[in-house]
Amino acid sequence: MPASVFRSAAVVNASRRAVSRPQLGINVARAIHSTSAQSAQPEIPSSTTSASMPITQLAKQGSNQLSLETPRNGMEYVLSTVDKVVNWARQGSMWPMTFGLACCAVEMMHMATSRYDQDRLGVVFRASPRQSDIMIVAGTLTNKMAPALRKVYDQMPEPRWVISMGSCANGGGYYHYSYSVVRGCDRIVPVDIYVPGCPPTAEALLYGMLQLQRKMRRNRKSVLWYRK
Amino acid sequence: MVSIGRYIRNIQRSGIRKWMRDMMYIGDAKYGKCVGQDQFGNKYYENLDPADEVPGRHRWVDYAQHEYNATQVPAEWHAWVHHIRNRPPPEDTVMQNLSPPWKGPWVENLTGTRGAYKPYNTTAAKINPWEPKTIPRGSA
Repeated sequence: MPASVFRSAAVVNASRRAVSRPQLGINVARAIHSTSAQSAQPEIPSSTTSASMPITQLAKQGSNQLSLETPRNGMEYVLSTVDKVVNWARQGSMWPMTFGLACCAVEMMHMATSRYDQDRLGVVFRASPRQSDIMIVAGTLTNKMAPALRKVYDQMPEPRWVISMGSCANGGGYYHYSYSVVRGCDRIVPVDIYVPGCPPTAEALLYGMLQLQRKMRRNRKSVLWYRK
Repeated sequence: MVSIGRYIRNIQRSGIRKWMRDMMYIGDAKYGKCVGQDQFGNKYYENLDPADEVPGRHRWVDYAQHEYNATQVPAEWHAWVHHIRNRPPPEDTVMQNLSPPWKGPWVENLTGTRGAYKPYNTTAAKINPWEPKTIPRGSA
């Protein structure tokens, strides 16, 4: 009886440790206590100054993304290049559907004006969901607005991306405990980029757009199709 | 000021290789004094001549990586590029003396990789995998 209690406690503790232990290779160096066998995998440094092997490359080690980005044969060389061309074309003209709901919308407008000038990145606001590829959810999403948001999202053609802008759209924010507010627009639509802030500056939103460009550049859809 | 004369002059001064690199990454033929280099190999330039560069474009960075982004600039050089500090970090003795010993190494934004920051979270997951529960026939 006591032995089984100990064993179950050990199992529970092990599972707790497995939960609290970071699964990310880059965080291995930061982990304070861990009993799993880490000698099998090589130590990944948490920072580097190498330009040929930057930290972003190190952090991708062993991931499916790195596998997709590394062509195995001639056909994959061609297809990954095709992917890169497609990504380049997509990231060069991101047309956001403006879903301005609250004060964040003002900062979204500031991104369009001369100081931050989204137009230099090819970002042009488009009022029609059928001709836009990004939706910027800027502001508090209320229960009443949620069906409209979903309808607008459904009208957008593939491929489409969603930027959630500001605390309210990210997770309800100030109105999280309100009876009439959706606690984050990711309950309604899948979100690619979360821009924190209340409201985020126009600069922060523009940085979010640049991060979305990074995400677009990671796309290797035809290689994925070929491998399947 | 931006002019065709400045453009040709900058090609002559910086050389064909540097010009091609600048056109690839910066999109302009720029020429200036290299004031330093950070630990990642990013090079920092300055040109205070208003005939060459419009004030506001007189400090710039040439990133070492092909996949560049603004978080690759460490904090000290960020302060210089954005005119928070007047002198570049190698010459800025005040900043060097005030640099805290517990300062961690600079890591760029790792979003989209396995190193992305994910805070410890105890809230219930918003999205759960579908677990089909079948009710045996006749019991319902």
